[in-house]
Amino acid sequence: MNFGPLIFLAAFFGLACSWFGFVLTPQLQIGRLQQTNTVPAGAVYPVNRPGLARQGLGVYRANGCVYCHSLQVGQTGTVCDVVLTDAGTNQNDLLVALRKLRPSLSEAEDKELISGLPKTIRQGLTKGEAEAMVKTLTTSSAKAVTWIVPVGPDIRRGWGIRRTVAEDFLFDYPVMLGSQRVGPDLANVGVRLADPKWHLLHLYAPRSQVKDSSMPPYRFLFEKRRIERERSPEALVLPPELALEPGYEIVPKPVATALVTYLLSLQANEPLFTAPVSVAAAPAPADTNATTGGVTTSTNAPATNSVPAK
Amino acid sequence: MSAELTQPATDVGQPKEGQRPVPVWLFVLLFILLYWAMVYFDQRGAWFSEEVYAPYHSIEEVAALQPVSGPQEFLQKGKRLYAANCAVCHMEGGTGNPANGCPNLVGSEWVSAPGPGRIIRIVSKGATGPIEVNGKVWSGGTMLAIGDQMPGDEKQKAENIAAIISYIRQTFGNKASLATPEEVVAVRDQIKSHTTYFSPEELKAAPDK
Repeated sequence: MNFGPLIFLAAFFGLACSWFGFVLTPQLQIGRLQQTNTVPAGAVYPVNRPGLARQGLGVYRANGCVYCHSLQVGQTGTVCDVVLTDAGTNQNDLLVALRKLRPSLSEAEDKELISGLPKTIRQGLTKGEAEAMVKTLTTSSAKAVTWIVPVGPDIRRGWGIRRTVAEDFLFDYPVMLGSQRVGPDLANVGVRLADPKWHLLHLYAPRSQVKDSSMPPYRFLFEKRRIERERSPEALVLPPELALEPGYEIVPKPVATALVTYLLSLQANEPLFTAPVSVAAAPAPADTNATTGGVTTSTNAPATNSVPAK
Repeated sequence: MSAELTQPATDVGQPKEGQRPVPVWLFVLLFILLYWAMVYFDQRGAWFSEEVYAPYHSIEEVAALQPVSGPQEFLQKGKRLYAANCAVCHMEGGTGNPANGCPNLVGSEWVSAPGPGRIIRIVSKGATGPIEVNGKVWSGGTMLAIGDQMPGDEKQKAENIAAIISYIRQTFGNKASLATPEEVVAVRDQIKSHTTYFSPEELKAAPDK
């Protein structure tokens, strides 16, 4: 018997199904994605990466960074925290309300809780519970807000404050999502490690910055050259164990500068409708920059947002 | 190698399927699985919405978790709107511009009035004519009806105007109260039929609440 036409039809049907599922449906879903607005501030997001950063994406691609680094933060859930922002004028009422919510509190703990505001009162609630608690607290003249906190292993590692969504990659081609995590996720590396000098040194000699790093050194992105008249302002300030013979310096080639510009532009942390998260309107600058100098492990940099201790 | 392994397999004693029909329980199981799959998709699939990512299950769930804006974000929004709409004439620092008769907002008694009523009128409908601000008379300038020209519906306009006014009442050394969108809606209701730019005399006659 000749099964040829049947086999052809079956194969065609199978391929057509996967084309509908893997190509057409995603195209219909997010094929016409546009810039969106952050919530609630309403700024335009995302903005195109600067030209040097777009060249850096090419360097990222050419050097195979994607084989060890992902650019996607996962999220397993969202909880609500209750943050007391203002104790109000009638502190006794507030203390009564607080005691009602947490009967185990002693008076001293209460007093401590309402000093140094804003302060997180409770963590890990559902939206309904949090709103009920905010309502109880605001019966006095105090002010409290519900704080939206995404949770998940990646967020606990400090790799981001929310999951990444398609908008984050709107201007990137090709999108370097990556699937292997030999190294840490880089979706927010521009927020975590905002110092270009750190990145350059890390590319030149990873273990000088991160102890036990398994990243290979990318020294071909740098040039060793004789100091002609005076040191180049771009030259790396090398730690003593990497010191060169006198009269020489290490300067980054343009590709290294482009790659670092791209890495610093990776900041997928704006609150969006599709990935709601509460962020402080004016984050304390000390928090974001504190870890850029002497980072010793790859994942200990805190996110800019408060990560629930769970 | 042992003898058992080299011996050829034989069909003797093996079960035969023959012409028996497919058992009924298999169909029942299939339908139960199909039903479960449909319920699962209905509850968690969000009907392929591009706005719902895991771990969310529906657009309502995402919408309910949107953070509400606090006063800080409100002022940030006001700052952005000021830069886009007002800073051209009133300058980034609110100093005003004598070249086009555009008065200062720094230390202006119009801006830091006890209530935002007059400034809502100015921003909504515009103003013209010589106006005295902080002892100095500014003339030759005309402010357009920036508020009315804002994009969006009346609610969005009111929110944007409230953000701008709150921003200018809280910066440039001004320490006046915030303007709420409700206040703006109330004032804009009163001046709905006003089609010309306000003059300083009309504004002085208006309540500042």
